[in-house]
Amino acid sequence: MQTSLYLIEDDPSIHEFLRRALTQRPEWRLVGSSSSFAHAQNHAAAAAASVYLVDLGLPDGRGEELLRQLSRSNPSAELLVFTVFGDESRLIGAIEAGATGYVLKGCTTSELIEAIEQIQEGGAPISALLARLLLKRFRGVQDSHPSPLEATQAETILSDRETDVLKLLAQGYVTKEIARKLNISSHTVGSHIKNLYRKLSAHTRVQVVKIAQERGLV
Amino acid sequence: MSFTVDLRRIPAWVWAGVVLAAVLVGLGLVSRPQAIDGGIYIQNAVIAGKNTAQGAIKNVVLPHVWDDEKPPWEGVARYRLVLPEAQNLPVGKSLSLYMPRVGARYRVWLSGQLIASEHWETPGYVDTSVVPQIVALPPALLHERLAENVIEIEVKGQLLRKSGLSQVVLGDAVVLQARHARVNAWQVQATWMVGAASLLVALLCGLMWLQNKDKVFGLLAAASSAWALRLFLTPLVNPFMPFELWFYLHKLSFTVYCGFLYLFLWEVFEFKQGLAKRLIIALLWIAPIWLGITTLTENYNLYRIWTGIVTMISVITLLLMFQRARWGLDGNQRLMVVVGLATMITGVRDFLVVQLGFPGDGDIRWMTLGSLVFMLTLAWVMVQRTSAYMQKMGDQKLELEARVAQKEAELRQAFESLREAEKRQVLETERERLTRDMHDGLGSQLVQTLNLVRAQPSNHPKQLEAMLGHALEELRMTLDSLEPMEGDLPAILGTLRQRISPTLEAAGIELDWQVEEVPAVAVNGQPMEPRAVMQLFRALQEIFANIVKHSRASKVTVRTWHDTPHVFLSVADNGVGLGAGSREGGRGMDNLRGRAAALGAELILESPVNDGNEKVQGTAVKLRFDSL
Repeated sequence: MQTSLYLIEDDPSIHEFLRRALTQRPEWRLVGSSSSFAHAQNHAAAAAASVYLVDLGLPDGRGEELLRQLSRSNPSAELLVFTVFGDESRLIGAIEAGATGYVLKGCTTSELIEAIEQIQEGGAPISALLARLLLKRFRGVQDSHPSPLEATQAETILSDRETDVLKLLAQGYVTKEIARKLNISSHTVGSHIKNLYRKLSAHTRVQVVKIAQERGLV
Repeated sequence: MSFTVDLRRIPAWVWAGVVLAAVLVGLGLVSRPQAIDGGIYIQNAVIAGKNTAQGAIKNVVLPHVWDDEKPPWEGVARYRLVLPEAQNLPVGKSLSLYMPRVGARYRVWLSGQLIASEHWETPGYVDTSVVPQIVALPPALLHERLAENVIEIEVKGQLLRKSGLSQVVLGDAVVLQARHARVNAWQVQATWMVGAASLLVALLCGLMWLQNKDKVFGLLAAASSAWALRLFLTPLVNPFMPFELWFYLHKLSFTVYCGFLYLFLWEVFEFKQGLAKRLIIALLWIAPIWLGITTLTENYNLYRIWTGIVTMISVITLLLMFQRARWGLDGNQRLMVVVGLATMITGVRDFLVVQLGFPGDGDIRWMTLGSLVFMLTLAWVMVQRTSAYMQKMGDQKLELEARVAQKEAELRQAFESLREAEKRQVLETERERLTRDMHDGLGSQLVQTLNLVRAQPSNHPKQLEAMLGHALEELRMTLDSLEPMEGDLPAILGTLRQRISPTLEAAGIELDWQVEEVPAVAVNGQPMEPRAVMQLFRALQEIFANIVKHSRASKVTVRTWHDTPHVFLSVADNGVGLGAGSREGGRGMDNLRGRAAALGAELILESPVNDGNEKVQGTAVKLRFDSL
């Protein structure tokens, strides 16, 4: 499958940065870009890119809302958040909205290429703090739903292995070390992480639907 | 409805005045002068025998009082009644002799025959004169013609007790017995009844006094109990005690009653401390001595002087009361003036009728009933006072509660503003920290970059990039420190790892990550705050910078473990160690010590490193924290 990119970003220097990065991967195509929330709403989904790079701080709207729309209209696409600081409190909102990974602005072009490739291979970037937050988030879910019989909830809750991975991530271990400690491949660790992302947003979606049903909106 | 309201609006002193006036009128009707039906009043007697040397046989007019003689009579005297001429006794009727007052002891002889003897031989002190006496005349000894009968009454006197013989009435036994019973009821039963009422008032006031320590209650309790004692002693024919003791108690109790009553009035009328009050207090102190001397010397003059003094003080007090009335009186004070006046009227009436022979039934004393009314009124005033006191206490309690509530509100407000101030202080501290970090970290990085660019534009693209990268990392670290980490040491280390691993990698130093889950770290007993996280970041940054710059190590091991109540962090390298160079005393180490102290942690340096049993080349920096 060919890699096609779509950039949603109001800072022109980032556009320039991406273009430079793409020179390292001539086979990748930039299928479109938006510098405003409104433009992205009208054009991003239709571009049907395989990877979307989304800035959270757009001048006319919230990047989270775009992530939510794209995760619904283009479920197979990777949604990478472009952020300056990678501050976890903000990232977790993006992940709940449907982001499948994040890239720090200010990284080198090769780091960007690496992140995109990693995510396409089934991995996902994650920091110790983010892992800690995810762990807390899922524990909260598990505590509030003690019954394992609820089918929709059961699949959103962590497996034992996923919990182990998250715990080690939260203690600062990197993929390679986790793979060694748990006797699994680095690739499996990556997919566990990606699953965690999906579960968090899936869980959020289920909850949204449930709340809507309870309120008689659906 | 209006009837009830009107009744209540009438002040107590008005209706008390009306009731008392009615009582006085009733008493007047009951005791108006009326001769005993068919009674023969005997008003003269001849002293037929006397065992004293104080004079020859003499005629006396009844009533005859021994203490009024000069000098007073003592011992025994025999009266022969002077019976009216030309009068026959009624036929077919039992006859009696009625003597309202005779004694202290007496015997009656009819035609030389002893027909009655009252306490003549009883040992100790007795006084028959305190109650009316009646003696039945045996018909067999009587002559039909009155003047032919010889009736002799032998009297044994008691000094200071107004012994002697009153008028004597001879008449129908039935009529005289009825009269005797009525007077007995007034003089004995009524007195004891009033005495019991006084005792009750005394007890109640005494209890109130103990309860609220208001001395007015104590004064009235003292006055009432003295009065009760006095009334109990008064109609006692045979008190079973020596005369001296009886006399002493009887007179002293009266003085004590008067003294405390006046002190009580002083308080109720809110008189100022004055001469009169001092006089009364002096009276109370002198009374036991004066009366003691009077009793021992049997000097009736001393007692008369004493009575005069008590009377004088009474008059002064009354005058003061009326003077006080000119300034206006409250309801209770008016009530007492009214009742006091009524009581005084009863006293004056008794004095006029009994002592001065004004028209009226001298056997019926008003004073006894008057003093009862007075006593009950005083009790009523005290009840009023108590309820006013309780009302005041209630009001004070309410006021106190209100004040407490107000203070509480003020305290809460003060507390709130204190908390606000604290909050502001915390915010201020955080702002200062952020500003400082921006200055020292990002700010200085940017200034350096700017200077570099200005100095040699476009000549240092690599350096520029590195500096900007640093600046961004600084900023990211500051923001990371603001994340809620809750003293989770592994998470803090993990966050830092992202920042330092590229540097270590570039220096060719392997990172051996041996971080374990440990209990949350506390700083001075409190959960770790962002400021402390930042301190830890900087401390670790310095440790790693040292390793990269000076250690020439190939490997760094980061470990965490815990040994309750401590949490340990160790960063160990396999480099050249401390001894070789001069890393120990450098500025870096001072900084590190300062940061460890700020974290409430202990800094331990090891070089070479203790690795189990053997010593290994390199340096270990350990931090020992307290766990939360």
